Amino acid sequence: MKGNHLFVRNRLLPAMVWVIAILVIWELTSWALLNIGHLPLAQSKLPYLHEVLATSIQYSGTLIKEGSATFGNAGIGFLLGALAGVVLAILMSISTWIEKLTFPYAVASQMIPVLGLAPIIYGIVRDEYISRILISGYITFFPVALNMLRGLRSVEPSALELMHSYAAKPWSIYWKLRLPAAIPGLFSGLKIAAPLAVTGAILVELMGAQHGIGVIMLRNLYYGPSHVYMFWSTVFIGALLGILSYWLISLIERIVSPWQPEFRSKGGSHS
Amino acid sequence: MNKPSSAQNKKVAATYISELPSSTLPSPHSLLTEQQQAKGTDQPSRKRQSKNKSLLGGGKLWFPLGSGILFVALWQIEVFHKIFDLKKYQLPLPSAIASSIQENWSLLLSYTGYTLAEAVLGMIIGSLFGFFIALIATASPRWGAGSLTLVAALNAVPIVALAPIMNLWFGDGIGSRIAIVTATTMAAMALNAYKGMSSVDPLALDLMHSYAANKGKVFRYLRIQHSLPYVFTALKINATASMIGAIVGEFFFSSQGLGYLLSNSIKIAKMPLGWSCIVLAAIAGIIFYMVVERLEKVCIRWHPSQRT
Repeated sequence: MKGNHLFVRNRLLPAMVWVIAILVIWELTSWALLNIGHLPLAQSKLPYLHEVLATSIQYSGTLIKEGSATFGNAGIGFLLGALAGVVLAILMSISTWIEKLTFPYAVASQMIPVLGLAPIIYGIVRDEYISRILISGYITFFPVALNMLRGLRSVEPSALELMHSYAAKPWSIYWKLRLPAAIPGLFSGLKIAAPLAVTGAILVELMGAQHGIGVIMLRNLYYGPSHVYMFWSTVFIGALLGILSYWLISLIERIVSPWQPEFRSKGGSHS
Repeated sequence: MNKPSSAQNKKVAATYISELPSSTLPSPHSLLTEQQQAKGTDQPSRKRQSKNKSLLGGGKLWFPLGSGILFVALWQIEVFHKIFDLKKYQLPLPSAIASSIQENWSLLLSYTGYTLAEAVLGMIIGSLFGFFIALIATASPRWGAGSLTLVAALNAVPIVALAPIMNLWFGDGIGSRIAIVTATTMAAMALNAYKGMSSVDPLALDLMHSYAANKGKVFRYLRIQHSLPYVFTALKINATASMIGAIVGEFFFSSQGLGYLLSNSIKIAKMPLGWSCIVLAAIAGIIFYMVVERLEKVCIRWHPSQRT
């Protein structure tokens, strides 16, 4: 319990202070812009947070519906992409042919602006649901494959020798040694990809879809100052979805692989 | 922090390399190790890697290159169109894309320059901010760490949510995209630089203390030096992220740039032009990345990861 107390004092308290300070500064700046600065479109630039909150609660039905459309499609694409990435990584670790064929492209795909493909995919498919799923899956695929492969390769050679000395079958080496070793890599890939998948899904919506959080975002932006709070609500929902996706993956990681060093309670002093 | 794990990772990385030499290509390999670095691990030596390069040479490069050419050739003779039942206006042929690039060469080139300028400026500003945040967080861990959490949260915010806000704040010009790129590149730099500054060798720290070095000197001579490899890792991550940020930012309200041209040509169904934007963006992204990588080689030549 002592550790818990320390956690509250050293981590939670500063974090709370930060959050509250930002909220206060935000509200004050918003007030200042409106009443002192008399800026044009002051509320569009920095609205009162409580107004935004009120609007989000008022229209929570719509926001949840559209948000879940986005998040659901991004989630499906994310899962499919992750699955494909894992399969490719395992294939690459088994066969050097497949690795030689795909690895350079996987790496090159990390260097190019992938999100730029979102409108292209929408242009090809012309179906918002499928294109959301496709772009989320595509964005997820390569980071997961690369990180998973790194994890599969990170097995200690002595452990591998031990398995060999037990005459372990290849599949049991994978099941008992390589796959558990790959889990940290897999999750770091998933964590890179999760917010990107949500971004990709929202991007597709901006290209002219009918449903989703991106659509209301754009619509309220074009309606102008009278819909400021609704616009900001969608922005916050979009941000929330991104953070939520990251947080979900971190949570699953903690449950699936509790042995990782960073999850252990820290001992010793900070350097 | 993470002292034991870093040593362990070094070992892991080394085994990873020794396991691979026959099967890896030179350039991708270097990227994989960077991703390793991105997770904060120390670097395996590049010595073996450069040996790989000379051993493998061009020979094995032909295999993926050939398959790439085959892919483009199949695309050109409309195999994919038949399989997926696509029309040419949906998925333009490579030849159409090439001729579109040729036709719009000067326009594309100036737009690429514009987008690249946004990306580079935004990345520089964002990285400076990130580095500064890392400095503060290292100097006062208890209160500064909160800023790191905040920056990490900012990183999870989709660019599409940032873009309209930045537009309201900084107008339609180049400023809003620079701001978007700044926001998207800050986190990687802050987190990596923090890792570099806080993972210094405790013995070195003890030595500094025994010399009665004050905090500023510890930073100047030890922490910042030690963080440089991590800083370059962050810069490489940011090189890609900044191109994405700039292009996605232009999707919204812009009158110039590759992202603008791309989304516009898709809307009016000029697919070849859209594809040529993608091609140029990819080339620009790769060049930008390579420049940063080159810079890394020049700047931290003393570091074990760079020695040959």
